[in-house]
Amino acid sequence: MDFSILTDYFGLYLEGFWGTILSSVLALIGSFLLGSVIAVFRITTVKGLRWFGTGYVEFVRNIPLLLVVYIFYYGPSALGFPLDGFKAGTIGLAVYTSAFIAEAIRAGIMAVPKGQMEAARSSGLSYIQTMMHVILPQAIKLVIPPLGNQFINLIKNSSVLTIVAGMDLMYFADSISTETYRTFDTYIFVAVFYLVLTLPLSYGVRVWERRLQRKY
Amino acid sequence: MIDFHQVEKHYGQFHVLKTIDLHVQEGEVVVVVGPSGSGKSTMLRCINRLETITSGGLTVDGITVNERKTDINKLRKEIGMVFQHFNLYPHKKVIDNITLAPIKVLGLSKAEAEKTAMYYLEKVGIADKAHAYPSQLSGGQQQRVAIARGLAMKPKIMLFDEPTSALDPEMVGEVLDVMRTLAKEGMTMVVVTHEMGFAKEVADRVIFMDQGQIVEEAEPAQFFASPREERTRTFLSRVLSH
Repeated sequence: MDFSILTDYFGLYLEGFWGTILSSVLALIGSFLLGSVIAVFRITTVKGLRWFGTGYVEFVRNIPLLLVVYIFYYGPSALGFPLDGFKAGTIGLAVYTSAFIAEAIRAGIMAVPKGQMEAARSSGLSYIQTMMHVILPQAIKLVIPPLGNQFINLIKNSSVLTIVAGMDLMYFADSISTETYRTFDTYIFVAVFYLVLTLPLSYGVRVWERRLQRKY
Repeated sequence: MIDFHQVEKHYGQFHVLKTIDLHVQEGEVVVVVGPSGSGKSTMLRCINRLETITSGGLTVDGITVNERKTDINKLRKEIGMVFQHFNLYPHKKVIDNITLAPIKVLGLSKAEAEKTAMYYLEKVGIADKAHAYPSQLSGGQQQRVAIARGLAMKPKIMLFDEPTSALDPEMVGEVLDVMRTLAKEGMTMVVVTHEMGFAKEVADRVIFMDQGQIVEEAEPAQFFASPREERTRTFLSRVLSH
């Protein structure tokens, strides 16, 4: 393996690495917020919101990620306010992931026994108070493992930014490999950069899960 | 205190409650018995609107339960409820289980709420478990915590939905003891149970339900010695003969 590629092009690798980190963090926050709202829509008794939530999840998770990104890349420019590849890619990634996160959160909330809601409500707590103090703290424990998976997927999926010139790790790797003709070596180092992000996340999720498990 | 007037309830095609008329006085202990599926739990759950009614009138402490303008959370403050499966919050310590509603609903300070909680834990005999998690307690202890949790809101009424049905036999006694004390102190109670001994000893009035109807209601002495209805006699001979 040719380590000179890594040392010679370290600046480009870092620039791409930074792009991937930034895009992933923004998409992670965005998808979590959006996913939480959609999850609430999915379980509310307000019919219109429930339909919207269901429609959103079914549409978004049943088309390819690349297509979602295209919607945010070509859609706005057709409407006259073009987004660059980084923005379009990050928004697309957030929207795509939010559908899966919504489902994970919804499943977690549904898995909390019905008696918990009944006990809290019959003591005079409002629906919101019950959610905040009784249901969500229990749901989070059930949601962490699937949420961790989604976040790991999100980081890997951020490579989709390459297609719309989103200045991520894969994008810079493509240009390094065209310059050096050492395609395989170039991408091995890319894999290492991804692992630097995903392995600690994976480990962190496991530790957090274990800590919650121990508590009660 | 609690007034059912011609209450009907349907679950789709299924007629769960049929023309229920029931009046519970302040300080009265009413025990509801009957075979499973007879609608006794459903009737109990109507009182704090965990179940809605299809038609008829239901008032608690003069307030109409099923009305849009009724603030249900305010009404529920006055009605404690104890469930068959305890329904303690597993992620909260015993003390925090008890103080949650007093802090959030009554607006008590944490210190005040904890003082009240300790008073009631003392009363149900498990003050030493205040800082344990529910999973570290036996079923009987959990149910006593659930009763303390209900009492900490200082309700006017306590509802019990088969509070001993999920307990090991040797733990039934400790829960019934707490309920007996509560009854003696004049708490208004509606108790759905299969414990005939408790009904006989503690109830002011026993209600027998079958197939969604109140078949018979009487003072316990009369209810157990000489029930009027044939259906009641059959039921009693089945549950008392073993």
